[in-house]
Amino acid sequence: MTVSTADSTEQVEAQGILLEARGVTKQFEGLVANREIDFNIPRHSIVSIIGPNGAGKTTFFNQLSGIYHPTSGQITLDGIDITNVAPHQVAELGVARTYQNIRLFQNMTVLANVMVGRHVRSSGAWFASVFRLPGIRHEEEAIEERSFELLELVGIRRRRAHELAKNLPYGDQRRLEVARALASDPVLLLLDEPTAGMNPRETRRMTEFIGRLRHDLHLTILLIEHDMKVVMGVSERITVLDYGEKIAEGTPEEIRANPRVIEAYLGKQATA
Amino acid sequence: MMAVLRRAAVAGLVVGLVMLYLAGVGLIGAFADRHVVTEYLSLGQLMLLAPLLIGGFAMARQAGSVVRRLSIGAFAGGMGGAVFALGILVVVALSPGIRGVFIRANSELVSFVFFGLDPGLGALLMVGSGLGLGLAGASLPVVPPTVRRGLLTGAAGVVLMSMLEPFVRPRLTEFDLHDVVRFLYQAGGLLPLAALIVFGVSVLLGVVWRPARTEVQRRFAAADPGAQRVGRWIAALLLISFIATLPQLTGVFITQVLVLVGLYVLLGLGLNIVVGYAGLLDLGYVAFYAVGAYFTALLTSPTSSLGIGLNFWVALPLVVLGSAMIGLFIGAPVLRLRGDYLAIVTLGFGEIARVLFLSDALEPWFGGVQGILSIPDIIDEGRYTIPLLGEISGPAATYYPLVAFCAVAAFVAWRLKYSRTGRAWNAMREDEDVAQATGINIVNYKLLAFAMGAAIGCLGGAIFATHLESVFPGTFNVLVSITVLAVVILGGMGSIPGVVFGSLALIGLPELLREFAEFKLLVYGGVVVLMMILRPEGFVPDVTRRRELHEAEPEEEEEDEGDNPESPEATPTAAPSPA
Amino acid sequence: MRRIRRVSLVDVVLWGIRIGVVIFVAVGTYLTLSDGLLAGENWRDLLIFGIAQGSVYALIALGYTLVYGVLLMINFAHGDVFMFGAMTGFFTANALAAPDPNTGISPLNANPVFGMALVLATAMLSAMMVAILLERLAYRPLRRAPRLVPLITAIGASLFISNSVRGLYGERVLGYPQLDILRGTFDLFGIPVLKTQAVVIVGAALTMMLLYWFVERTRTGRAMRAVSENKDTAALMGIDVDRTITITFAVGGMLAGAAGVLYAIVFPQVHWFMGFLPGIKAFTAAVLGGIGNIVGAMLGGVSLGILESVAPNLLLLGFGVPSPNQLRDVVAFSVLVLVLIFRPYGLFGRPEGK
Repeated sequence: MTVSTADSTEQVEAQGILLEARGVTKQFEGLVANREIDFNIPRHSIVSIIGPNGAGKTTFFNQLSGIYHPTSGQITLDGIDITNVAPHQVAELGVARTYQNIRLFQNMTVLANVMVGRHVRSSGAWFASVFRLPGIRHEEEAIEERSFELLELVGIRRRRAHELAKNLPYGDQRRLEVARALASDPVLLLLDEPTAGMNPRETRRMTEFIGRLRHDLHLTILLIEHDMKVVMGVSERITVLDYGEKIAEGTPEEIRANPRVIEAYLGKQATA
Repeated sequence: MMAVLRRAAVAGLVVGLVMLYLAGVGLIGAFADRHVVTEYLSLGQLMLLAPLLIGGFAMARQAGSVVRRLSIGAFAGGMGGAVFALGILVVVALSPGIRGVFIRANSELVSFVFFGLDPGLGALLMVGSGLGLGLAGASLPVVPPTVRRGLLTGAAGVVLMSMLEPFVRPRLTEFDLHDVVRFLYQAGGLLPLAALIVFGVSVLLGVVWRPARTEVQRRFAAADPGAQRVGRWIAALLLISFIATLPQLTGVFITQVLVLVGLYVLLGLGLNIVVGYAGLLDLGYVAFYAVGAYFTALLTSPTSSLGIGLNFWVALPLVVLGSAMIGLFIGAPVLRLRGDYLAIVTLGFGEIARVLFLSDALEPWFGGVQGILSIPDIIDEGRYTIPLLGEISGPAATYYPLVAFCAVAAFVAWRLKYSRTGRAWNAMREDEDVAQATGINIVNYKLLAFAMGAAIGCLGGAIFATHLESVFPGTFNVLVSITVLAVVILGGMGSIPGVVFGSLALIGLPELLREFAEFKLLVYGGVVVLMMILRPEGFVPDVTRRRELHEAEPEEEEEDEGDNPESPEATPTAAPSPA
Repeated sequence: MRRIRRVSLVDVVLWGIRIGVVIFVAVGTYLTLSDGLLAGENWRDLLIFGIAQGSVYALIALGYTLVYGVLLMINFAHGDVFMFGAMTGFFTANALAAPDPNTGISPLNANPVFGMALVLATAMLSAMMVAILLERLAYRPLRRAPRLVPLITAIGASLFISNSVRGLYGERVLGYPQLDILRGTFDLFGIPVLKTQAVVIVGAALTMMLLYWFVERTRTGRAMRAVSENKDTAALMGIDVDRTITITFAVGGMLAGAAGVLYAIVFPQVHWFMGFLPGIKAFTAAVLGGIGNIVGAMLGGVSLGILESVAPNLLLLGFGVPSPNQLRDVVAFSVLVLVLIFRPYGLFGRPEGK
């Protein structure tokens, strides 16, 4: 299943911008990791950020999810300013993410990992849990049920649900991270190199899965990727970062043809 | 071959040094007069010789022919005996000057470890014992597991039965079973014939126990849900009535010990929430214990500086609330610290609390060194009646409220563990940053953990204060914090039954052996180090986790990821849920 | 660390503590000084005593800092390594202090420099041995364990070492033999200084200079610094990481042993539990100077020593608090808590770039 670019452009126009970053700059002790980045994600689209190692992709990503706060600039989600909002509040507003080097809750069960993801969409307070106040049992059941659904959705077998996350094979760990992120019913899903370490076959399957996710769960997805094929195949728009600056933006075709990109990032591959 | 021999020689050296250490540190001498089998074997001898047995056992746990394994074990044992004998001969040569340094190195100890013989003969016999015990130890991995299990439980049974003497004897006497007492015990140890019978019974139990348990489990699993529920109820009822009648069954001494165990269960449950669930290493946990005790003392003692003499149950909510507030107050500034710094800061808080309670500056409030006295009992001056159980007095008067508090704390801990709150804590323990990005407000959850731990810890303090009827600052030092930590670690962090186990093993067992008191902290330190290295999950790890680990095993082989029929290839079926 | 920019409850509490501490210090100092409760020479004596005590803290603190540098762990048992050094040093000193039957003068007093050197050597060697054993047996198996595991192990090890000493050498408090030539005071620019304190300050300063030279100028010292920068890279560059870590523990142990003897010169009593408080305080000193920073540990040690001897009087006397010196440990622990909360990177360090 491939994604039609024309379709989604229409959707963009119909539904507007979900996330917008304006002039985002991040400095670490004089070192500029991001410089004046303007960037936006149309609703219900798949957008990618690419760039060579150390281009400031993950730093930018971390600012979107509230882990870092920009030195200057502004980030808005759905019109709400999230520039200096704490990560847990960003999560509550509907931004969920995965990590480049998988960061699961290793010593918790697979199921519990997903159930934690449901945290922001549930409300049981500690005293309610202690006294099993009305509604708690129902909420717990709902969380568990939804978590099993998500495990099935990402393709982790049900009987694995009670294993410790650290005992899962690599591919399942990646999928579990996605399930955990999805558990918070996000509007915006940030995927940090979701196919890192996967073989071509797994990569292709993950790419298709990302495409389907957008349609079936009405998600907006931002990808960081190294693998050019993944990005070209699945995203409508691509932003290229180099040395902390945005050097290009456009459709995959435009990016493929952009000389600056070829020079900065694709250089050797393109000429080879 | 040479390599094996060298390893065995090194093992022997280690065994010999361990034996010298045990003797030098005083453990052997302290237990020299504690008889296991009267006239034949004392606990001191057992401790001294056990390393030889273990050394032989360890060396024989390798591939090879039976003869080879046995001889390697015997060699290691003999080597250990020789090293030890040599060390003792050096001590003899340096006597009496060496006593100025090593206080235990006296002639009594030398004579004891050399079986009462003179040094030359004793040393020879020690080498011989090393060979023999090494061989015996080496034979353990060689014999079938059933035999091994039987022998070990037999030995454990004899030791336990002899250790229980001070508590079994008075109970038997009370029921006029003088003949039984005469048959079993003499001079604090089991008589040889009695020991043999105890050994036999224990062997039998050891052999039968496992098959019997599997059979019961199998039948239980096969039963229909209704019967299972009834079975569970009956088991729970039996457990409750057992706990309820323990003071009557065991008498005053053991009840006193049980109160201590219960206190540490309570403290352990509290610390377990902070350390085990939330992953915050709190080394100042004693502060909450102290605060609970002092608050209770202030509010209930008529002679305290407040002098209002409230009823315990009126004071309790105030104490809990106050401690939780202090937990929040201490928690708030330290929340952003990294794990290890947090540990040290809480340690600092604990010490600050102790020094403040002790200081002259605050003496008008807390009584300085003298502490606060005449704290009333929890219920009706320590004398009340419980239906079915009759009149309660003495340590039992504390026992019942304490058990109730433990039950409440365990219940709260258990409910929280499998709740949204518990999952948030666990996530925080595993990875703080990711937990936060998943939407968990870690500030709130850390504060909650601190406050919970504080509230449960102060319950322990409150009971402690009423039990002793006084509080002194000296009681609340950092060693209490570390002891509670050891209790939690031995059982397994995050495990509720683990706390009970840890408390029984580390608080209860030492109380059975009076001679042990001096060595308690030494053993706690050793236990913590060994557990961290060898078994960080504890002896009674989480039920779920154990199940998970076991379920995971049989699946390993059929693992072939990437070709699962239900991988993402399948169409997503889950409906989007409203955000 | 500073992720949440909005004002939160925690920020309010932290600011409250900051303001409270400043007010408390200002008012206490003003009251004490305006009342003139202590004369100038009292303050001077407290200061010198503080420096002497602080230089011992500095020596112990170096052990914490060195180990933290290479392993990123708080070696909680380091205080007990210090204690062990002081204890074994005692037995040597005690043997040397027995008067010669012919002359009536003990070897220690007859030849004080050689005697002290021998005491120092035994203390340093035995402390070094314990430190190496500790690393080999307890910490090495846990190199890859989660961060709290080595710390918990270290706490257990601390308990184990101190209680082993208690069992082996007894619970008694042992009085260190004192040197005749160290009795009394001498004049330094007209200021009378206790000879013991002077010896401690000079001894600690010399030891620290030696360490500085070792770390900065020798091959092994460079290897240590490389390992503390990055273990993996150091290994790739051909440095034997295990050996370097062992050496780090050995050096830290020797410094602790030396500190044990110097400590016993000022406080001539040793016992099995003496490692705990100096250990914690030295750790405080290490944090004060920015943990992992060698010069910082030296400065932190001396600052803490001075703070601890001067601050209780300076801050509390004015409030009319009885026996403020009882509360010196509270001062030390409060410094520990405040520094860890407000400047975990130390007074002289800068926050990690994040």
